[in-house]
Amino acid sequence: MKGINATNAVELETVTKTFGKTAAVADLSLAVPAGSIYGFIGPNGSGKTTTLRMIMGIFYPDRGSVCVLGEPVRQANLDRVGYLPEERGLYKRMKVREILRFYGELKAGHSVRREVDLWLEKLGLAEHGNKKIEALSKGMSQKVQFIATVVAQPQLLVLDEPFSGLDPVNAEAIRSAILELRRQGTTVILSTHDMNVAETLCDFIFMIFQGRKVLDGTLTAIQDQYGSDTVRVRTEDGAGALEGLAGVEAVRDLGQRQELRLTRGTDPQDVLCAILSRTRVRSFELAKPSLHDIFVRIARPADQEDDHA
Amino acid sequence: MRKVLRLAQREYLAAVRTKGFIIGLLLAPILMSGGLIAMVLLKDHVDTTDKRVAVLDRTGTIAPALIEAAEKRNAQEVHDEATGKKVKPAYLIEVVEPRAADPQAQRLELSERVRSGQLHAFLDIGAEVYHPVKDSPASRVDYYAKNPAMDDLRRWIAGPLNERLRQRRLADAGITPEQVKGVFDYLPVGSMGLVAQDAKTGEVIAGRRRHEAEAVVAPMLSQILMFLLFMMGAAPLLQAVMEEKSQRIAEVLLGSASPFQIMLGKLMGGVAVSFTASAVYVFGAIFALSSLALGQYIPYRILPWFFAFLLLAVLMYGSIMAALGSACSDSKDAQNLQLPAMMPVIIPMFLLGPLLKEPHSALATGLSLFPPFTPMMMLLRQSTPEGVPWWQPTLGLVGVFLFTIAAVWLSGRVFRVGILMQGKLPKFSELLRWAIRG
Repeated sequence: MKGINATNAVELETVTKTFGKTAAVADLSLAVPAGSIYGFIGPNGSGKTTTLRMIMGIFYPDRGSVCVLGEPVRQANLDRVGYLPEERGLYKRMKVREILRFYGELKAGHSVRREVDLWLEKLGLAEHGNKKIEALSKGMSQKVQFIATVVAQPQLLVLDEPFSGLDPVNAEAIRSAILELRRQGTTVILSTHDMNVAETLCDFIFMIFQGRKVLDGTLTAIQDQYGSDTVRVRTEDGAGALEGLAGVEAVRDLGQRQELRLTRGTDPQDVLCAILSRTRVRSFELAKPSLHDIFVRIARPADQEDDHA
Repeated sequence: MRKVLRLAQREYLAAVRTKGFIIGLLLAPILMSGGLIAMVLLKDHVDTTDKRVAVLDRTGTIAPALIEAAEKRNAQEVHDEATGKKVKPAYLIEVVEPRAADPQAQRLELSERVRSGQLHAFLDIGAEVYHPVKDSPASRVDYYAKNPAMDDLRRWIAGPLNERLRQRRLADAGITPEQVKGVFDYLPVGSMGLVAQDAKTGEVIAGRRRHEAEAVVAPMLSQILMFLLFMMGAAPLLQAVMEEKSQRIAEVLLGSASPFQIMLGKLMGGVAVSFTASAVYVFGAIFALSSLALGQYIPYRILPWFFAFLLLAVLMYGSIMAALGSACSDSKDAQNLQLPAMMPVIIPMFLLGPLLKEPHSALATGLSLFPPFTPMMMLLRQSTPEGVPWWQPTLGLVGVFLFTIAAVWLSGRVFRVGILMQGKLPKFSELLRWAIRG
């Protein structure tokens, strides 16, 4: 599936990074095709940010190699990469335009005055250009931070949680900006805890868990690995009617609807009959597992945390 | 280099555009010469309320001389001759008969009168002051007041009192004042610089009369100026780096530049800030002194040294400050480190007095060649009228240069590790490990 573009924007080759005795990333190999949107998912502390930092040359791997835009990580090729860290950082006392020019010129090496104005206009911040950062709302400063990342027209964008803390309107603005950049040929790597974003925005999904790669591919390819073992059902009596069904491994109660994971070899027809014997069924759908479900299946045993999912 | 310059530019503008910098720039010399300016401003604001002093004259013969001297002073000095305005307090002497019975009770009474404001002070003249006996209470003159140590009247009254004693002692020795006219004239000893010979013409150059202020003011100012510029250019780096780290700006910067470039950019920004301030001060001082016809006292020969030492000092101290800032996670950490980090500049300030007195002692020479102290101490010693042998500042500069390279390099390594490290303040041993292992 990774044949969208012949060249890879990022290549990691058996990369390992340890802190003290903990291996944050172990034997990780990854190829991000140029022009794609690549989603990094994984529980907190699984190694996403460490991987992104290695791509940005902030951390050096203990073993293995990292190539960015066709070359080993160096400052020169990093100038063509835009980086939005998970924790946002803006000088509070600088004005919006000043800080954007500063970050842009640091990368681009020339004036980015025009691009700054263009982006401010695009994200509806034009009239706030002369305000100090400390005078902006959280959503606005998030957008400023995003502009700071893209203003030097990078070929590769590395976005760590670009949507966190944004309201739906602002999130939509950033989403369309990312899609537009991709149309212009920019490669985008983004990490997210929002499975919906990963499913709908990303061409490829990569999941890291306890420092190791556990998923890598398109959504369809990943779902195919798990087969159609999921049933989405809506009944009159809700989740109460689904307890203790034979051939059902787990029930996820979504309120109005429930998701059942079937044990291998179970015939969905048998499950439907069993449910019908208990209650009236309004809808019954055989489906591939959602990314959320896959995520939880992998991460649950060791890490109960799926609040963000 | 482009990035370093861009980072330095931001750093510089962020510093000099603040109100704090401009206020500091103007305020610092005012504070430095504060005493002088305050004196000039407050000169005309003397308390002109008359001061009454009671005199317990146990000799019975000195008080009239004091009254006479006070009246003479009141007639001549209290009012401005031209305007007739009262510019000083009049001194009024009140003679109080000493009671032999209980002197302490009488002193208490007079003290109460001072406390109640009726008197400014009282003077107790012992009975044997004409021919004093060592350690005898009767041979003393004591001045009692609320704040006797800093008292103009006490200083003034010593003059006529001693004059009276001298007259009486001469008379007792059978000498008339006419006989000893001029005997007590006091001659000051002039301070002269050494005579030199011009190497080319062989002409002997006379020693220049040296003013006491010259030996103190220029060296003191050079050290204070260096301290001030450190506070403006290097010290803020600790706080600035800590803020960038705690506000997560550091990681954004690290996505665009290497840690060493970031640190170097900050250092160059600091250098630019201190050069801006020093240019204002140095050229301001040259202009001020020249316009006051004091141009001859400007030690031009040390100006190049001043700028060389300033450059290295800001790089040296600044890199240490940046490294320590990178180890801090919040402002509390930064506060804890601020004082120890400033020791290399605080210690020379504490040694200012001894250094001014003996700028050429072995201790002063040795300390001024210790690189962390060199920029401040060597400059102070160079600013003294006789200067120092050429090899000393040269050696000092080489030492500081090497030390600065080491400091910047090691700090760069600490900065690289520290800037991404969160959590508690690392121990000194950990900082050392970062510096050595990178």
